[in-house]
Amino acid sequence: MQLEGSPGSSLRERLNKAALALLLVPAAAAAADQPTTQIDTTTLYYGEQNRVQVVEPVVRATRLFGDGQILSAQLAVDLITGSSPTGALPSGVPQSITSPSGKVSSTPAGAIPTTKFQDHRGGLDADWQTPIGKYFASTLGVHASREKDYQSLGVTGKVSAEMFQRTVTVTAGGGYNWDSVFPVGGTPIGLSDGSEVTNGKNSKRVETFLFGVSRVMSRRWLLGLDASRTLERGYLTEPYKVISLVSFRSESPIGQLTDNRPASRARSSLLASSVYHLDQDIIYSSYRYYKDSWGIRSNTVDASYRHDLDDGWYLEPHARYYHQTAADFFTFGIVAGLAPPEYATADYRLGQLTTMTLGLTFAFHVDDSPALWTVRADYIRQAGSGTAPDNLGAANTFDLNPAINTISLVVGYSFNL
Amino acid sequence: MHRPVEQGPILTRIEDYFAGRFVAMASPCSVLIDSDDHDEAAALVEIAANEALRIEHKFSRYRGDNIVHEINHAAGKPVTVDDETAHLLDYANTCWEISEGLFDITSGVLRRIWKFDGGHKVPGKQAVEECLRHVGWPRVTWQDKTLTMPAGMEIDLGGIGKEYAVDRAAALLAARTQSSCVVNFGGDMYVGGLRSDGRTWSVGIDDPARTGKAALYRLDLARAGLATSGDARRFVRWRGKRLGHILNPKTGWPVRGAPSSVTVVASTCLEAGTLSTLALLQGPEARGFLEQQNVQFWIV
Repeated sequence: MQLEGSPGSSLRERLNKAALALLLVPAAAAAADQPTTQIDTTTLYYGEQNRVQVVEPVVRATRLFGDGQILSAQLAVDLITGSSPTGALPSGVPQSITSPSGKVSSTPAGAIPTTKFQDHRGGLDADWQTPIGKYFASTLGVHASREKDYQSLGVTGKVSAEMFQRTVTVTAGGGYNWDSVFPVGGTPIGLSDGSEVTNGKNSKRVETFLFGVSRVMSRRWLLGLDASRTLERGYLTEPYKVISLVSFRSESPIGQLTDNRPASRARSSLLASSVYHLDQDIIYSSYRYYKDSWGIRSNTVDASYRHDLDDGWYLEPHARYYHQTAADFFTFGIVAGLAPPEYATADYRLGQLTTMTLGLTFAFHVDDSPALWTVRADYIRQAGSGTAPDNLGAANTFDLNPAINTISLVVGYSFNL
Repeated sequence: MHRPVEQGPILTRIEDYFAGRFVAMASPCSVLIDSDDHDEAAALVEIAANEALRIEHKFSRYRGDNIVHEINHAAGKPVTVDDETAHLLDYANTCWEISEGLFDITSGVLRRIWKFDGGHKVPGKQAVEECLRHVGWPRVTWQDKTLTMPAGMEIDLGGIGKEYAVDRAAALLAARTQSSCVVNFGGDMYVGGLRSDGRTWSVGIDDPARTGKAALYRLDLARAGLATSGDARRFVRWRGKRLGHILNPKTGWPVRGAPSSVTVVASTCLEAGTLSTLALLQGPEARGFLEQQNVQFWIV
């Protein structure tokens, strides 16, 4: 700093001296950066009406180092209870169904048969992000999770580069997962009556590739385009799902066959997203197109509007529309006596499906504490829309696609150590 | 939901210099660099942005992990601070002395009862008295790098933090390059020397009532700090008058008769900022005060 002129008064002189005393402290001593740790905790409650309930507490610790490195670790536990549709058709008479593990459940006439289940899942994730030179950054991650009948181990890697005066960021990465499925009571043979099982683990390998570009369009507008491709190989069948066996003559299903899906699935998706800053508020919007080798095509439109209130509080309404077409081998039932298909499933999640989500996030501080609370509530309405072919007897006289109403509630608390 | 990662500073070429822009301390910030070297300019902007974020992080009263939070939540216990914080507190102490108690970093608690949103709400006598019990730098013991403050009081370095950050960033840039730079954090700035062709930098001062729309004055500066205090949009209406947001820590009320904004040019941004704030605290005597200080100034 240059001393300039002679201060015109003793006040000015004292101020000038005080300013120089402050500003002449070596900058290096002042610039020593302290690493900081941020802790984010969230608890998710997800409840489908009369079906699955999930409670998921998550703790995430992120440590930011002065040199730009970021290390984060996350522990998540899922507690899942409830019932999910087996895939079987409703019937005019009460149905008794014996599961592969020998349990007998019964379903009232006209209702979608479901099975009760209960599971816990524990998952651990860790990420390490580090800058490489001025314009590059890399992220490496590992993942492990375990539940009663499923285990997943994975690695991910990603490199990003900033270019064109940092207005464009290009990201490329990939991942590999080693998963195993070991159904309770053994693995049923596909498209069988479920009485024959094999023991042991079934392996599933997942390769993921992703490529993304984001670009600053103006001081207010950020656009992103991300493409991903995932290849899954191995045991991709749902061991507990079944398909009703129907006869021309009978009003009701005469039996059921186990689910059987192809041993490979190639998925591709393209996501376009935009962040637009208004004077105070922010508009987020995105569109995603997805297709896979099983014949599912989906479109997702997502929008949210963040309205900033005073003191870091904000309110963010959110809406999402999702529609998917059915997998090629999706069927409501199989007609007895005809040649069975190679692959078949009646799992509603692979059928034609529309999901609407409406939600609201509210973030606030308590008193003067900088720790941020967020509360997010979502209402999700999911409905299938397929109809069974005429040769499936009386199946179409029942509602095969009852809408599922779901409430999801997430409470988050973030603070710095 | 997917959100693209927010970007760091944005660098653009304007005529024959580079301009880097970013947001820090809740303000739009810019750094102008008289250079043809894109990589050098990018590196310099990064240095200035990092310094702004560092100082914001360390001295913001809105964070829970810094020295200001520690001091404000010590509940009467002594807190020993690092050298940089100690120098800032020494500076604040000098400001308190030379302003005869008008410049007071403990006066921030008054903002809990005053809302300068253009409305008509004025706190009652009792609320002001209650609040003033937690205001007053003389109640704080400050010696040997240790600060002891009664519970319920708070310090706020926001009144000098941005100007300090400007001078700090300018010093870091000067140590790194021969190119002339202008550091501008939300209108408080430091101009670091003549440009390579001998020209001065031309700086616009906004009309405070119409921020970003009209430059009221254009100044040609070679090497100087410049700061503006006052915000015409933050006021409360009382008995048909507008009371601006500058609070007198002795009365607990806004300073009456103060100009809506004061801009000062001095040898550093810190001095310019302190002088402009001190001027506003003088109320109707702001002009007389500045005339005595032998500085260039503009009053709106």
